[in-house]
Amino acid sequence: MLIVKDIQVYYGAIHALHGISFEVQQGEIVTLIGANGAGKSTVLKTISGLLRAKSGDVVYTGKSLRNVDPHNIVKLGLAQVPEGRRIFQQMTVLENLEMGAFIRNDRAEIEAGFEQVFQSFPRLKERRKQLAGTLSGGEQQMLAMGRAMMSKPQLLMLDEPSMGLSPILVNEIFSIIAQVHQSGTTVLLVEQNARMALSIAHRAYVLETGRIVKSGDAKELMDDDAIRKAYLGH
Amino acid sequence: MKKKVRSYIINIVALVLLYSLAMYLIGNGTIGRYYMGIILTAGISVVMAVSLNLTTGILGQLALGHAGFMAVGAYAAALFTIHIGTEPQAIFPISLLVGGLVAAVFGLVIGVPALRLKGDYLAIITLGFGEVIRILITNLEFTGGARTLRGIPRVTTFSYVFVMVVLVVAVMFTLGRSRHGRAILSIREDEVAAEASGIPTTYYKIFAFTLSAFFAGMAGGLFAHYVGVLDPKNFGFIRSIDYLVMVVLGGMGSITGAVGAAIVLTALPELLRGFSDYRMLVYSVMLILMMLFRPSGLLGTKEFSLTALIDWVLRRKPEAEIEAVEAEQVFATRHKPALLEARDLGIQFGGLKALDSFELTIEPGEIVGLIGPNGAGKTTVFNLLTNVYVPTFGSIELEGKSVVGLPTHEITQVGIARTFQNIRLFKNLSVLDNVKIAYHNQMQTTPVEGTFRLPRHWREERLANARARELLHVFGMGEMAAKDAKNLPYGQQRKLEIARALATNPKLLLLDEPAAGMNPTETQELMDTIRLIRDSFGVAILLIEHDMRLVMGICERLVVLDYGQIIATGTPDEVRSNPKVIGAYLGA
Amino acid sequence: MTFVNQIINGLHVGSIYALIALGYTMVYGIVKLINFAHGDIIMVGSYTAMVIMTELTGLPLWVGLLIAMLAAMLVCTTFGVVIERVAYKPLRNTQRIAALITAIGVSLLLQNIAQLIFSPNSLPFPVAIRVPPVAIGEMTISFITLLTITVSVLLMLGLQAFVHKTKIGKAMRAVSEDRDAAQLMGINVSTTISVTFAIGSALAAMGAVLYSTAYPIIIPTMGAMPGLKAFIAAVLGGIGVLPGAMLGGFLMGVAESLTNGYISSQWGDAVVFGILIVVLLVKPSGILGRRTSEKV
Repeated sequence: MLIVKDIQVYYGAIHALHGISFEVQQGEIVTLIGANGAGKSTVLKTISGLLRAKSGDVVYTGKSLRNVDPHNIVKLGLAQVPEGRRIFQQMTVLENLEMGAFIRNDRAEIEAGFEQVFQSFPRLKERRKQLAGTLSGGEQQMLAMGRAMMSKPQLLMLDEPSMGLSPILVNEIFSIIAQVHQSGTTVLLVEQNARMALSIAHRAYVLETGRIVKSGDAKELMDDDAIRKAYLGH
Repeated sequence: MKKKVRSYIINIVALVLLYSLAMYLIGNGTIGRYYMGIILTAGISVVMAVSLNLTTGILGQLALGHAGFMAVGAYAAALFTIHIGTEPQAIFPISLLVGGLVAAVFGLVIGVPALRLKGDYLAIITLGFGEVIRILITNLEFTGGARTLRGIPRVTTFSYVFVMVVLVVAVMFTLGRSRHGRAILSIREDEVAAEASGIPTTYYKIFAFTLSAFFAGMAGGLFAHYVGVLDPKNFGFIRSIDYLVMVVLGGMGSITGAVGAAIVLTALPELLRGFSDYRMLVYSVMLILMMLFRPSGLLGTKEFSLTALIDWVLRRKPEAEIEAVEAEQVFATRHKPALLEARDLGIQFGGLKALDSFELTIEPGEIVGLIGPNGAGKTTVFNLLTNVYVPTFGSIELEGKSVVGLPTHEITQVGIARTFQNIRLFKNLSVLDNVKIAYHNQMQTTPVEGTFRLPRHWREERLANARARELLHVFGMGEMAAKDAKNLPYGQQRKLEIARALATNPKLLLLDEPAAGMNPTETQELMDTIRLIRDSFGVAILLIEHDMRLVMGICERLVVLDYGQIIATGTPDEVRSNPKVIGAYLGA
Repeated sequence: MTFVNQIINGLHVGSIYALIALGYTMVYGIVKLINFAHGDIIMVGSYTAMVIMTELTGLPLWVGLLIAMLAAMLVCTTFGVVIERVAYKPLRNTQRIAALITAIGVSLLLQNIAQLIFSPNSLPFPVAIRVPPVAIGEMTISFITLLTITVSVLLMLGLQAFVHKTKIGKAMRAVSEDRDAAQLMGINVSTTISVTFAIGSALAAMGAVLYSTAYPIIIPTMGAMPGLKAFIAAVLGGIGVLPGAMLGGFLMGVAESLTNGYISSQWGDAVVFGILIVVLLVKPSGILGRRTSEKV
């Protein structure tokens, strides 16, 4: 479904990604794990077109995204929940969700989308008239996810959804990710909480200073000694 | 040193030649009144542009009211000459000084409130002040008001303008390369990091702004005594814009760029006189095209150097600036006991408690780790300890003295230094300068000593160079001293930030994810470096880190945060087996 | 002139400032650029209207005025959008000061083109509406004044509704808040910015025609002062906030009118700038603005 081929990405003079290659198959949950600063977010931003690779290519359902503008990438069925949520603080919850549905025009379908999001996140329904900036951290994360789901993506990319959340909320968010996946969405998950990520993913890639140093079945990686030492605490 | 002396000689010889040539041409009539007018106007523009460059290019604050200071200086100087002098020739230098000083007073009075604002807001408020000054002059009696001020002795000569230009440019270079200039530059690069490196940013902003007003005032004096008649219309907003355009076109922060642009932009309309109908049209089109194709200006932040040009022409390799590393310790390292105590610390953002009931004690020389999931409030602790945020409740004491409410730079001075999660270096400055900025508070060179390069300036610069190089050497970065910080690889940028923090001579060093973006080998090296810092500099360290190898390997004690609350403290082994920590962070 | 008359005069000028300020504030909100050329768009609008009205002598004057206004809006909108695409868009990701200087360049360019076409001298603007003043009790208010105030209040309300109720309006708010996040929603940022410039320029065109009916003399540099004051109005009310621009415009107009009437016309500008300075020092984000802080 998604093939990332040997991408090299620079921030000014800093060489952030040194030739990253991986793929995501339809119906999978794939996770990229690694320490802060390893380049995980950079990978997602490159896929969604916010950053451009100096060389290499990103191919989505057979189509190269090299020269596609970010807003058109969304139309192809890729949605991203950015790191730090990046919700529109000065807009209401409902308006945020509407923005998520920006590429859709069928009013009835959009309404149905609201219902779906509110079903997954009942708390957002209570607060739908509230300015998004007044939500708590957990609610903001839910809103960011709900907003991304409004575009009905085939591939949902999440950047550190656990950041800043209490353990209970992290569990809740991850169970929703599992639900989203069950309803037929392919998931690419970037996480620093390697344990949670590996527990729901099928396959994983380990990033270190802009390179993939390991990849494989999520369960196997969970048992890998080096991975346990580096990312799982012992 | 040899290199510097050579450079001085080259520049002085060039100036003397230039001056003699001009005097000769004036003497034999080649430069007539028309050309003289252009030259004098260009010289005055140079002084204006170079002085505005101090505020906008070097300090990095957008100011749109520079013509206001020129007006103040012009009227002050002119009124002084008219009312005091029977011999305008003799008192002219004093008039100029009066113009500069009065403008500086205005700069101070305006700068103190205005410089609390940043970016476009500062631009607008300076625009407002500039206009108010102009309107005041128009409506006051003693300035002649809208009827213009007449009868000013026209005593501005080529020599005065020449000397003034040389003086301003020289001061910008010498002061700019002293500790004060570095402090001003650091504010442009990153104000937060400058504060954290111990630079009193408010003081230096006002200092630079006032000095800039001073020179604008002197330029005003030259202008008044050149034209002989002052009309407030000459000092409107458009004139401020003209000077701003010179600064930006020359390259923000480049002194020689400002000089070049001021000369070209003054002379250009004259050269286009032939197509007088179209000259402003051509000018505006050129302005737009220049910005589109060279948004950072002609020279960027670079400087034109005659010495370098001569070296290049002679194919001579520039001598490496090797200075003897003196072992002499002038910046005394403190080895006093450090002890941090934070009690019941907390902060609330809106309804959200980002941190609650936080307790922390750090003994001298200890290495303590602060861990927890992303967003648990770890960086908030650092921001509270360094007063980037003011705590909603609780106390912080360093060696028994409260540091709550001290400005960040004073916290740095009393001994808490930090690094940042998102690396905040002075990107466009050299690696060496990044470290030297942090020595600011350990140097005593005054602005006057720095400007005139008196012995203490040289002594302290030598020492700062030596110590900075030594420090970089400890971090294995000795070879990179001359590179711009932005060109370092990620891992090296992290190390440079630590080196910079260490240069402030802290008792307690706060490291925010020092290993982020490093590979295992680099992380291993970093662990050794951190131990070395503690052992040889006697600094206590509090670090935020996710890399468990690093945390477990070097920390003596750990504090675990989750969701704004401490959920465990203890030795790495205790923490590792704490069920709460396993649940929230480490996992089973 | 009575005190009330002075206030009404102030509201008249103020509502013109407000119309222009709306454009400033929208553009600033979305691209963070002080668009110095916005004032000169007013000039373009006035000259366009003047040309049209001089050509259409056969029609009743108010029809001519209406056509002139529509033409001015069309021309200004085109100018606004083209200027953004050609001069500002390429600089979107560089230092902001580069775009600022370019805006100054564009401003000079427009003024000089106008000078070449229409000469640097002032021209009379054909005043169109000869309607008797409206009497309210003891007072009489000129028709133009009533029209200007009504039109600008309605436009502000319409704009407010546009920004909050329509899809493109919401997209504008989303882009001004977080450009990257907006792109991730599938919003075309460039189009949205163009729409913003188009609306701002159209409003400036209306402001231009209303301004010229009030002060019927037009010269190539005429845009500078109302432009500057409108910008100050936008800052005063809180930049990026639409009702703020309106409030700022009214405040500026009234303050100016009262100073002119009771102190001296020479101090009008000083008072305007004085208010600006005081407001910025007390509440830098403007009267209705929001505080923002930098994340460390």
